[in-house]
Amino acid sequence: MNPLSATRTILRVEVLALRHRVLKRGPVRLVLLAIFLAAAGIFILGGAFTVGATAGHFLPGAIDPVLVGGFTGLSVLMLVVGFPTVIATFFVGRDLLQLALAPVRTIEIFIARLTLAMGANLLISSILLAVVLGMGAGAGAPPAYFVVAVPLIFLQVLAITSTQTVLMSIVLRWVPARMARDVAAAVAGLTGAGLYLAWNLSLRQSFSGRSRPNVDNLTLLIQRIDWLPPAWPGHALSEIIAGHGVAATTWIGLTLLMNVALVAAASVLYKHTLLAGLGVFGSAQAIWKRNDRRASAPAVGAASGSGSPALAIARKDWLAFRRDIRRLSRLLPAVLFPIGYVFAVTRPSRSMGGFWSEVLLVAFMSMFMSTTLATPSIPSERRGFQLLRMAPLPMWQVLRAKVLLTLPPVLAMTMAFGVVVAIASSNGADRLLELSTLVIWLGCGFVAIGVSAGGIDPRFDALDDRRAVGLVGTLAGLGGSLGFGLLSVGAFALFIFGGDALAGTAQLGPVPSTPAIGALMWAAGIVLAAASLAVVVVLLWLANSRLRSFETAIANT
Amino acid sequence: MTSTAQGPIAAVEARQLVKRYGVVRAVDGVSFEVARGEIFGFLGANGAGKTTTLRMLCGLLAPTSGTAFIDGIDIVEQPLLAKARLGYLDEDPFVHPHLTGREFLHFVADLYRMPRGAERQRRMERLLGLFELADRDGELIGAYSHGMKQKIGLASLLIREPPVLLLDEPTNGLDPRSARLVKDLLEELSSRGTTVLLSTHILEVAQALCRRVAIIDRGRITATGTMRELRAQAGNEQASLEDLFLKLTAGPESKELIERLLA
Repeated sequence: MNPLSATRTILRVEVLALRHRVLKRGPVRLVLLAIFLAAAGIFILGGAFTVGATAGHFLPGAIDPVLVGGFTGLSVLMLVVGFPTVIATFFVGRDLLQLALAPVRTIEIFIARLTLAMGANLLISSILLAVVLGMGAGAGAPPAYFVVAVPLIFLQVLAITSTQTVLMSIVLRWVPARMARDVAAAVAGLTGAGLYLAWNLSLRQSFSGRSRPNVDNLTLLIQRIDWLPPAWPGHALSEIIAGHGVAATTWIGLTLLMNVALVAAASVLYKHTLLAGLGVFGSAQAIWKRNDRRASAPAVGAASGSGSPALAIARKDWLAFRRDIRRLSRLLPAVLFPIGYVFAVTRPSRSMGGFWSEVLLVAFMSMFMSTTLATPSIPSERRGFQLLRMAPLPMWQVLRAKVLLTLPPVLAMTMAFGVVVAIASSNGADRLLELSTLVIWLGCGFVAIGVSAGGIDPRFDALDDRRAVGLVGTLAGLGGSLGFGLLSVGAFALFIFGGDALAGTAQLGPVPSTPAIGALMWAAGIVLAAASLAVVVVLLWLANSRLRSFETAIANT
Repeated sequence: MTSTAQGPIAAVEARQLVKRYGVVRAVDGVSFEVARGEIFGFLGANGAGKTTTLRMLCGLLAPTSGTAFIDGIDIVEQPLLAKARLGYLDEDPFVHPHLTGREFLHFVADLYRMPRGAERQRRMERLLGLFELADRDGELIGAYSHGMKQKIGLASLLIREPPVLLLDEPTNGLDPRSARLVKDLLEELSSRGTTVLLSTHILEVAQALCRRVAIIDRGRITATGTMRELRAQAGNEQASLEDLFLKLTAGPESKELIERLLA
C-alpha cells in the first residue's frame, strides 16, 4: 500500500468538495465570477509586477530592503490572518473526527491538512510573487533568480504555516484544557499583531531615518530585521541579483534547514496534540460550565417587563462572540492592527494637511472596524437565523438590533483613535469636535452598510465568517462603503471650508472667500450628506427585502 | 371555538402548497387541515417533502404557490401574527451552541416578548426539571448530546405555550424514557387544546398518538384520514399503519431489495 494513499484520498475529497461548491453556482454567476477574478488578478498582480519592476530598475539600492520587506510582510500577514484557518484546518471539523477514528497515520493527516492550510496563504503570496518577478525583470536578474523565486515563496508559506501549527500544538500540550481556547486566541491575535508593529516600525525607521517621538527607544531595539528568518529568502534573491552565488546559496540553505526543522517539529507536536485539539476546538467547549448559576440569569433589569427581542439578540451575540474562539481570534488582530497603525504612522502636525490626513485615517479605521465587526453579524447567526425568522419579528428589527450592537465598539474604538490622533497633533478643541462628529457619522453609516452587506447575501451554511458573505454582498458592502465614505468626507470638507468662507478666513485659491461662497458650499455639503445617507438607506432597504425573501441559504441549513 | 359560516376554523390548514427548486417540485399541491386540539401525523419517506412542507407552514420558506393558515391567519400575508401562535421544532433543532441551556431559553422567551418575572422563571424551572436538564443548564448547548439538544429545543417551544406545535421528528435521538415523556406530554397538551402536527418516521408513535394522519410521497399527499379510513382506502381492514404506509408509498418490496443486494 502506498505510504501516502490516505493523504491523497483526503486531498482528493477536498478537491471534489471544492468542485461541487464551485459548480453549485449557476453558469451566469460562474462566468461573472471568472471575469471579476480575471480583472482583479490582472489589476492587482499587474500592479504588483509593475511596482516591483520599477523598483528593480530605478532603485537598485533598495532591492534587498524591498525583497526582505516583501517576504517579512507576507509572513506577518499570514501570521495575523492565518491563525483561524490553521486552527480550523488542523483541529476542527467532523471530517477530522472521522479521520482520527480511521486507521490512518497522523503524519498523513498532518500532510493533508498542511497542504489545505497552505492553500489560502499561497493565494495571498501570489502578490509577492508578482512583485518578486517584476523586481527581477526590472533589475535584469539572471534566470536562476526566477527559478528559485517560486520555491522560496512556497517555502515561506510552508514555514509560517508550520510555525502556526507548532504554536497551537504547544498551547494544547502545555496549557490546561480549560484555558487552551483563550490562550490560543491570545496567541493568534498577539503574535501577528506584535510582529506587524515591530515590522512596521522597523521598516519606517530603515527607510526614513527620521527620529520618531515617544517610540525611539523601542525602535532602536528592533530597527533592523535582517536577522529574522522571514527575511532569509529575500536576502537569497537579492544576492542572486548581485551575482553573489555563495551568499545566495547560504541563505537558501538556511531557509531549507529552517523549513525542515519547523515541519518536523510541527508533525511531531501535531501527532501528540491532535486528539487534545479535537477535544478543545472540535466542539463548542465541552468543558465549559458556569460555577455561579445566578450569572446565567438575564441581564440587569430583567426581573419585570416584557422581553425585548433586540436586547435578546444583542445579549446572545455578545455571549456567543466571547465564547467563539474563531471569531475572537479574528477580532484581536483586527483591533490591534489599526491601533498599531496609529502609533506607527501618525506624526504631530499643526498644519491643515495634517488634519486632513487624520480625517482620512479616521475614515479608514471606521470602515475597517465596521467591515470586521458588522458584515458577518447576520450570517454568523448560522442555523440560529431560523429562530429569528420563525419569531414574530420583522426583519428590520433584526437589522436594527445588529446595527445597535455593532455600533458601540466601532464608535468607541474609532473615537478613542480620533481623540489620540487629535491630541497628538495638537489641532485644538474645535478640530477635535469636528473630527468627533465625523467619527460618529461615519461609524453609524459604515456599520449600517456592513450589516446590510451581510443581510443582502448571507451564507448561513458557512462555518467561517470570512466566507459568510457572498460575492454580491461583498461587492455591495465595498461599493456602498466607498460611496458613503467619499460622499461623507466630501460633505465634511465642504462644511469646514464653507464655515471658514463664511467667516472670511478660508484659503480657497482662486475662489473668493465670501459669505455667499460659504453658503453655497454648505448647501453642496448638505446635498452630499443627503446622498451619503441615501446610500445607507438603499442598502438597508435591500437587506431588509432580501432577508424577508431570501431562501437559498435557509434551505441549505 | 372560532368558526365561520363554513364551519370551525382549522388550527392548521395547508391549501395547495407547492414548493419548487428549479425544475424540482419538492412539494406538489399539498392540502390538509388539522383541527384544534388534534394530534395529526404527517408521514413520509426520506426526501418526500415533509420538512419542506413544515417549513412553509411555519413561515421559514415561502411557498411557490398555494397558501397556509395558522388559526385562520395566512402565514404569507400576516406572518408575524401567525408566527406568534406557533412553535416549530426542526429535526435538527435550531439552537445556539455558544449559549447555555438557560440562556437559550431566556433568549427565545425574549424573542417572543414573553413577560419576564416569576411566571417565566417558574415555567423554565419546570421544563428544565421535566426534561432532566436542570443540572446541565449552565453548560453550553454545543456540548449537549443530540437528545439534549432536542429536549432544550422542545423546552424553548413549550416555555411560551403556543396553541399550535409543528414538530419534525421530536423523539429523534431521545432515549426510551425521554421519548415516552414526550409522547405523554403531547397527549396532555392535546387534551388541553394544543394542536400538534407531528412529522415522524416512527410509525408506532404516529399510530399511538395521532387520530388522523397524512402520508406524503414525492411531494404529494397520497392519503389522509383516520386509521379506519386509510384501511378502507387500502382495502385491508387488518392492516397496520406500517403496512398502509408501505402500500401507499409504493416502491420495491424489501424482500426484492435484499435479493437485488445479494444477487
